[in-house]
Amino acid sequence: MPGIDRRLLQNFEWVLPMLGFALAGMGVINLVSADSSGDGGLSPAALRQLFWLGVGSLALLTVLVPDYRRLDRATPFVYVVGVLLLVAVLLIGPVINGSQRWLLVGPLRLQPSELFKLIIVLAFARLLSRRQSSRPIGLVDLAVPALVAAAPAVLILRQPDLGTALLVVLCGASLVLVAPIRLKTVAILGVTGLVGASLAWQFYLHDYQKERVFVFLNPERDPLGSAYHAIQSQIAVGSGGVFGKGWLQGSQTQLDFLPEQQTDFAFSVLGEEWGFFGAAFVLTVYVAMMVRGLMIARASKDAFGTYLTVGLVSIFFWMGTINVGMVLGVVPVVGVPLPLVSYGGSSMVTCMVAIGLMMNVSMRRYLF
Amino acid sequence: MRDPLGGGGSSGADSGIERRILGTVLAIISVWLMLGARLFYLQVVEGDRYRVSAQKNSVRTHRVYASRGMILDRNGEILVDSRPAFDVRLVPDQAQDIDRTLNRLASLLGTERQELEERVGRPRGRFRFQPMLVAHDIDYAAAARVGARLWALPGVITRADPVRSYRYDGSAAHLLGMLGEIGERELKSKNFQGYRRGDIIGKDGIERLLDRQLRGRDGGRNVLVDAHGRELEVLSEISPQPGVNVVLTIDHRLQRVAEEQLELSGHNGAVVALDPRNGEVLALASRPAYDPNRFARGIASSEWQGLVKDPNKPLHDRALTGQFPPGSTYKVIPALAGLEAGVITPETTIRCGGSYRLGRGRYRCWKRGGHGPMNVHSALVQSCDVFFYKVAEMLERERRGVDELAYYARAFGLGSRSGIAALRETEGLVPTRAWKERRFREKWQMGETISVAIGQGFNLWTPMQLALTYGAIGNGGMRYRPMLVKRLESPFGELVEERLPEELATVPIKRESLEVVRKALRGVVHEPRGTGGRMRGLAGGVEAAGKTGTAQVVGMGKEYVKSEDLPEQFRDHAWFATFVPAQDPRIVVAVLVEHGGHGGSAAAPLARAVVDEFLSHQPDLVPPPEPDLGPTPPPRKPRSKPPTEADSTPPQVAAVGSSERPSPNRRSQN
Repeated sequence: MPGIDRRLLQNFEWVLPMLGFALAGMGVINLVSADSSGDGGLSPAALRQLFWLGVGSLALLTVLVPDYRRLDRATPFVYVVGVLLLVAVLLIGPVINGSQRWLLVGPLRLQPSELFKLIIVLAFARLLSRRQSSRPIGLVDLAVPALVAAAPAVLILRQPDLGTALLVVLCGASLVLVAPIRLKTVAILGVTGLVGASLAWQFYLHDYQKERVFVFLNPERDPLGSAYHAIQSQIAVGSGGVFGKGWLQGSQTQLDFLPEQQTDFAFSVLGEEWGFFGAAFVLTVYVAMMVRGLMIARASKDAFGTYLTVGLVSIFFWMGTINVGMVLGVVPVVGVPLPLVSYGGSSMVTCMVAIGLMMNVSMRRYLF
Repeated sequence: MRDPLGGGGSSGADSGIERRILGTVLAIISVWLMLGARLFYLQVVEGDRYRVSAQKNSVRTHRVYASRGMILDRNGEILVDSRPAFDVRLVPDQAQDIDRTLNRLASLLGTERQELEERVGRPRGRFRFQPMLVAHDIDYAAAARVGARLWALPGVITRADPVRSYRYDGSAAHLLGMLGEIGERELKSKNFQGYRRGDIIGKDGIERLLDRQLRGRDGGRNVLVDAHGRELEVLSEISPQPGVNVVLTIDHRLQRVAEEQLELSGHNGAVVALDPRNGEVLALASRPAYDPNRFARGIASSEWQGLVKDPNKPLHDRALTGQFPPGSTYKVIPALAGLEAGVITPETTIRCGGSYRLGRGRYRCWKRGGHGPMNVHSALVQSCDVFFYKVAEMLERERRGVDELAYYARAFGLGSRSGIAALRETEGLVPTRAWKERRFREKWQMGETISVAIGQGFNLWTPMQLALTYGAIGNGGMRYRPMLVKRLESPFGELVEERLPEELATVPIKRESLEVVRKALRGVVHEPRGTGGRMRGLAGGVEAAGKTGTAQVVGMGKEYVKSEDLPEQFRDHAWFATFVPAQDPRIVVAVLVEHGGHGGSAAAPLARAVVDEFLSHQPDLVPPPEPDLGPTPPPRKPRSKPPTEADSTPPQVAAVGSSERPSPNRRSQN
């Protein structure tokens, strides 16, 4: 078994988990403020978040054990099970707040679409690493990956969960872009994407989703309705100034101006209470984590490890960019949480598993 | 291990992946640098605009409510507007010493401290930051007292929110409507697109029909608020667009008289007054009514249940939706049908002996002794039943019978909605053979035509339909769509939209026939045996035309029981319709008094009062009293006529006297 190889411990990856736990820790501290009654005590939400951080850590340790190359072989199986779970959600999942995203397993609510952020990365890493040809990737080569991404994306859209569906497609696309690909193919993909987006706009987007885009383009359109999130978020962040108002002191946060301040708008609480320094620090930690991930990708001995790690980084990149962009008013309001920081068990576990997988790749870079 | 990409970083053998990962690093860093730049822009560059941390200030977002438009009558009298309701609120977190603040508030408001304390309670957590309602709708003086001492009352906020105010309480309640919170079903309906949960909308009447125009558009405001709840600065604002004012065709002076008269009568009922020259509704009254002010800020559910379950149905607008047998007001229809169909001429004479035989049936006239020889004129004037029984029989034998009657009734718009822009209106009922067969699967009987001909049987009219029918007779046969709204005006009085009269149709009846009936209706009021003597002696010698009606509520037995002797719920409904002046009328009034008894005595006085009020504002018909210039006019009655005007009616004083005396045929007809 490679699990007890001494070299594994010598090559243990410390930097990545430290950065990850730093972010998660800041998330909990931030949550205490966002959810508190103003006294700084641990609220039920903060306690639950700590619990999920614990669960996530266990998951992280678990995915360290098996060699990631065994995961390569398991990928088709994992993918099929994932798709079946997505189908099950649509068939038997309860409708909560107008959408079907969960499976009830005893007391737990499982969100299979969350898993798919990881599964799509595994699937694409496997597809791309097994390519035999030395030619750059052309349009024809993309047929299979496109199908592999489209199936879960469509199922997730049906829930409906535009944010996650978008993430699945974006993560897959990122991997393709990192593979050797023809410039012409990229251009064609770009155009197709634009056309597809405009078609989706025409036929698929719900009115509330369109409204969010309109409002993003012109927030004054509806200051108390759909634009409320965007405006309040910018006021909160902006009022934080250079140094912030201090922990538990954010008037926007404490006066409840911010909706969903524990989850999707956690970063605006951070911006208000910790100011430019605090928020920029968090952004820096994120960038450091992603760069570290890409260093692991570069150091990996095999293509699967490289692609896997790049894909995992892309999850953090896209979620982080969309979420922070939304808080700062440069991206329309889409329900995407900030990885590791936002309140929520599923997202926390997914991120921890992603970190664990990257560590797994890093630790085994000299093993063959 | 196959490795198409070559070795990792340490071996340095890779051609492409190294480069592409480097590119990815650069891409990530540049995207996040842009995010950082945006963060810098918001927090450092624009920070001052948002920053309020030094004083622990905050930005509040208020909805700035657009002021709702007013509803005015045709003369600019305000019927509905919005008044400010002053509230006092307290933000517990900002009150340094809650007990002291409450003590001061209690003495300023003149209430018990205990009471205020119960309202505020001891809020914890984030509720400490939210304003708690301390006092609601306090009077202006108290609001001013609190407002002047805000500096000593940290955390106290006063606010004035507009509350709908119906100036005359229950007046025109059904017409004006009321407000209430938008319901689930309305939120989903297309008509209410763009409305939000919690919106206060028109629930009935004009308030609902013209809700969009009345409500305007709300705005929003981000305000800088300091630790004491004082608004420091407006950061950004979208100003509200106030709603438009609605000018009704209603003349509130007439409306009030109509309502007062209904109230005095002690009965339920309705009064409709129209301008027969264009269809403008001058008064639309229904009793009992309710006070829409009670809905302005939410009504208690028990009170609402009371209104819904009240057997008198105060929510029900009798003027437009009440359906009643028309009684003798119907007789104009068989008169016109007979003349047009040629079964009678103006000279045809029929003898009334007090009853009428048809087959084995015997139909009574309301006057047991009989009217003697009657032509169509005198039959209308004295409301003889037998004459119209005979007309009905002739129509049945020679023409299409009841369907002939229905044709002429429909020609006046009876049996269908008038097309008035109102939420609810009923059609009434014009019976035909086909209708009866559909409805009861039975053949029409000739005897039923006999009943129908005097307005009993299946006929049902609404008070509005009565007014429209007599209006069309009075104006020579033109039917107008009744209208309630004259125009919409901006808050500054600029015309936004004008509503014009709409001609619906010309009644397909010869002018001569209409003229015969119109003359007879004048006779009802002015001839010795007429049943409408109550309308005699109008100011300025103006002549009236009209018709009484008494609709049976219970079927007649063999004996003719006097309605007065019956218990209230079995008494007849009293009708009266009149147009004034008899020649070229300017107003038509229809009155229904439920279970009031006889039309001539129970309903006509109400119409009279409305007409009197109307004439007092018609200077060209009734010259206003001249200012006292000298010794010329007689001292006891200031109202004098220009000396040139020749007039056949008795002098004013005598006229007033005669109207107080009951007319000879006071008990009128059946």
